[in-house]
Amino acid sequence: MNAADHVFRPRLNAARRAEGLVFWLFRSATYLILACGGAVFLNIVYKGAGTVFTTSAPFVNTTFLTEAPESLYVFEFEGKKYEMGDREFRAFKETHPAAAKVKTESYVYSAGGIWPCIVGTVLLVVGSMTIALFLGVCAAIYLTEYAKDGAFIRFVRLAILNLAGVPSIVFGLFGFGMFVIFFGWNVSLLAGWFTLAFMVLPVVITASEESLKSVPKGFREGSLALGATKWQTIRSNVLPYALPGILTSSILGIARVAGETAPIMFTAAYVVRDKLPWDVERAGDFFFQGVMALPYHIYVVSSKIPQNDYTERVQYGTAFVFLGIVALIATASILLRTRLRNRYKW
Amino acid sequence: MNAPVPPAAASGPDRAAAFAIRKKRVKLLGLTVDDCIKSFFGGNALVSIVVLTLITYFLVREGAGFFGQNRQNLQVYRQAGLEYVDFIRVQADDHTALTRYLSDLRLRSLRHLTETKGRSLDDANAALAPFDEFAGKFGDAVEPVRGIVSELTEVATAIKTKFIVNEDKKEERRQLLAEGKKTEADAVAITPVDFAAELKPLLGALPAYKDANREFTAKLTAVLAAPPALPAPELEQRLQRFTALARDYLATFPAVERNLEAWDFRQPVPATQSFTAFIFGRQWLTASFWQDWYGIIPLFVGSLLVSLVALTLAVPLGVGAAIYINQIASLREQKLVKPAIEFIAAIPSVVLGFFGIAVLGQALRLLSQQSWLSWVPGFPYSERLNILTAGCLLALIAVPTIFTLAEDALNNVPRAFKEASFALGASRLQTTLKIIVPASLSGIISAVLLGLGRVIGETMVVLLCAGNRIAIPDFTQGLAFVTEPVHTMTGIIAQEMGEVVRGSIHYRALFMVGLVLFVVSLLINFAAQKIVRRYRISIG
Repeated sequence: MNAADHVFRPRLNAARRAEGLVFWLFRSATYLILACGGAVFLNIVYKGAGTVFTTSAPFVNTTFLTEAPESLYVFEFEGKKYEMGDREFRAFKETHPAAAKVKTESYVYSAGGIWPCIVGTVLLVVGSMTIALFLGVCAAIYLTEYAKDGAFIRFVRLAILNLAGVPSIVFGLFGFGMFVIFFGWNVSLLAGWFTLAFMVLPVVITASEESLKSVPKGFREGSLALGATKWQTIRSNVLPYALPGILTSSILGIARVAGETAPIMFTAAYVVRDKLPWDVERAGDFFFQGVMALPYHIYVVSSKIPQNDYTERVQYGTAFVFLGIVALIATASILLRTRLRNRYKW
Repeated sequence: MNAPVPPAAASGPDRAAAFAIRKKRVKLLGLTVDDCIKSFFGGNALVSIVVLTLITYFLVREGAGFFGQNRQNLQVYRQAGLEYVDFIRVQADDHTALTRYLSDLRLRSLRHLTETKGRSLDDANAALAPFDEFAGKFGDAVEPVRGIVSELTEVATAIKTKFIVNEDKKEERRQLLAEGKKTEADAVAITPVDFAAELKPLLGALPAYKDANREFTAKLTAVLAAPPALPAPELEQRLQRFTALARDYLATFPAVERNLEAWDFRQPVPATQSFTAFIFGRQWLTASFWQDWYGIIPLFVGSLLVSLVALTLAVPLGVGAAIYINQIASLREQKLVKPAIEFIAAIPSVVLGFFGIAVLGQALRLLSQQSWLSWVPGFPYSERLNILTAGCLLALIAVPTIFTLAEDALNNVPRAFKEASFALGASRLQTTLKIIVPASLSGIISAVLLGLGRVIGETMVVLLCAGNRIAIPDFTQGLAFVTEPVHTMTGIIAQEMGEVVRGSIHYRALFMVGLVLFVVSLLINFAAQKIVRRYRISIG
């Protein structure tokens, strides 16, 4: 009697076949999701890489990454076809006076680069995350260390839960109504910072609370037993151990802040702006200027200009750079979290 | 604890010093440092409540003026006689709809003759000559009524313009007075609009309209009495349906006349009408020369349909994947797939929207034009950006949310449930579907609800991919509505907010839409929490 022939061997009856079928359905659902996500990702990487990278040294399209957007002019001159950015075209017209009358097709934002957008996005993310981390960590400290369960705390938690569900465009409206109009900050970095900070606040609070809770009780009790005050305990025995966790989990919040378009549409983003953010007359003006931002730029170039071969380069290029930045942040967060989980085991 | 150094210490200083732990507490307004720190943190915890309150406050603050302004808007609509003209206009428009039905019928007949019967085009056209005569007579009959409409339109528009100019002047005077320039303010001449006098030509047109209407009715009845013959029974049936529709249409004429006779511009617009016109209004029409309407229904329906399509796709996929990863997959697969799906969650929505414009819209349209797919309702279609495109992309946004939360819910089912089920001889499939899933059903439902909240509040994808046509889709063709473009609540705010004048009725209407969106999202959240708490099976 061989092994496959024993009494309890799995029989391939109808029930077992049905089981296999259903499990395959679930499996294909899972992989269909991954395939869809992968398709979006690969499409943008494949087409966008053509804009961002070049075949010759230095292999990176520095113009695209370091210059401001310009209009693209496409024209035929003396039998040859030219594609030029705004400034280049003007210089060309000076050297070739005959070119002044040539018939051109122009596409806005399709030449030049996206440097101001990258700068703007970084500024928005850094500012709003600073605010959100400060508020969020402090709130989480109160919730885990000080608060006693009661009506007030339940109310706070309810508010956090509900805040997490508010649509981002509503945050945009709120930011517009409060910061831009009521406070009179106009479309500015500051208005964008606060709008985005309030939007990620629930994410940061939840992440911070989790890391604070994962610090063992013994750490606190030991410190208190030695006569330290509550604050001394938190400062020396809780926060240092929770901080790495807080920061890594909050990176996911950074990805969300960087990726949102709706809240900054009316609070911080300009369609186009010639000056870079540090070109301000007074230092105080820095906070009260609008900036260009990558997500908003993608919206503008994908909805306000026609789709063709010339515009596609800047569309895919911007999407690629943006997706790359967000993907880097997200990957960093996921990897760091796994490492951290393995390192801190109490 | 109250006094740092007790008075007794003066006589015996050594006694106090000898006590090893002597805390000196600094006090500020009766609070120790620790209390201050605690209240500082407590203050930060309050921020989320404060933000939520502020959101409500600012949405209401900017939006509340809408109802007053909309009431005035509706008041002018009545006083300037626009409402009066619209009674007749609706009649003329209904006639246009009927002529469209006729031209559709002609197209079908022509196709039938050329394709099924194989006649030449000229021949077919000649065969349809009686039908053309019938359709032509039917179409021309409306002319006198239409003439009256266009005449009256001019009159009503003139009255409205006069009123608006007057309002602007009043505003100017008010501003001048506020600045203290009394003489300039007095110089602004305001002649109040005498609606009764202005409306005279409008109301005076009633006999002419009645004559025209009588003529119209006579012509239509005469035309309908002699319908032409059509080449196929199926087409004949359609013609009969048409005559029935036309008879119904004729039957509405007396009602129009009655409405016109009973109409009175002095009738006030009740305050509730401003509210119902917003909540139940089926038209969102702005910057029109005739009359602006702010009805949220088309936007709400658009948001709802897009979300429903997204959920139909996302729920089976998300929940299926969660069951697979939690119950069936190997540990290694779990470790690979979970971060990958989290990664999908990190794809920014504007990038997905761009993907929809650049790739998916076109791809789906091409797919719809394949002949082997023509049985699918609504296929083939020509609008690249529509509910389906936006719904597919939104599904990709909802899936990670649903997956993560549903997986959590499945994970919370105690091992004992599973073990007990296996011990009773149930198979893996039976255990999964009949024990694990029902035990975590409340969690899964709330995951779906939160996915809905995520989808209904999503802006960029619908703004870029839903087609942005403000209209309630046509539900008569069944599921085919998914191939129609719509506009959504989130999309309209994002699109129009940048262009409106601050403080105008349009601006306030957008804030009201935001408020509705806010309330809807709170309700969804609330329902999700309620379900988790109420239907949770006691585990333990």
